[in-house]
Amino acid sequence: MRNRLKELRAERGWSQQDLAERLEVSRQSVNAIETGKYDPSLPLAFRIAEVFAMRIEEIFLKG
Amino acid sequence: MAAYNLAFRRYIRRFVPLTIAYGASVALATAVIPDGAPASPGIIAIAVLPGLAVVGWLWAMARLLVELDDEYLRMLEVRKFLVATGTTLALTSIWGILELFTPAMPKLPVFFVFPLWCLGLAVGAVFNRLRFGAARCA
Repeated sequence: MRNRLKELRAERGWSQQDLAERLEVSRQSVNAIETGKYDPSLPLAFRIAEVFAMRIEEIFLKG
Repeated sequence: MAAYNLAFRRYIRRFVPLTIAYGASVALATAVIPDGAPASPGIIAIAVLPGLAVVGWLWAMARLLVELDDEYLRMLEVRKFLVATGTTLALTSIWGILELFTPAMPKLPVFFVFPLWCLGLAVGAVFNRLRFGAARCA
């Protein structure tokens, strides 16, 4: 699944570590999600959406 | 400190003494049990000790999976366990068939199944590295 994590993070000037701390996960997790190697669970996807104050479908894209 | 780091720290705190206990119990069995010894209650009691350490090891790994709240890191650990289990079962099945039907095949003592599984964890870490570029390894 594609996602806009890297783009949204860059807009806010956050490093992967910054985002990881906000999500309370490891930096490796953020990297794996960003690079599309790992799709987060629904609860984590909701946390990501909350951190960016957006809807899940605005962050995660089909295909 | 992040919760996932605490989980790994706790795991190491459990893993190290259990590893020492396993090594010590195997060394004790090697030193005390003579070749061709009968399966007396005393010998069986000594043989049970490494088994208890193995149970402790599996418990420590299970606790790691329970306490690790980072789902991605947890998945990496689960993948390692699965690769280790698959590798061990596959290799022992292959070896077992050869043992059954090929007289020249050396017998593999069942004792080596657990050390083989531990080697499988390293294989699992390599798989994780290749698939995810993930270096973390408990």
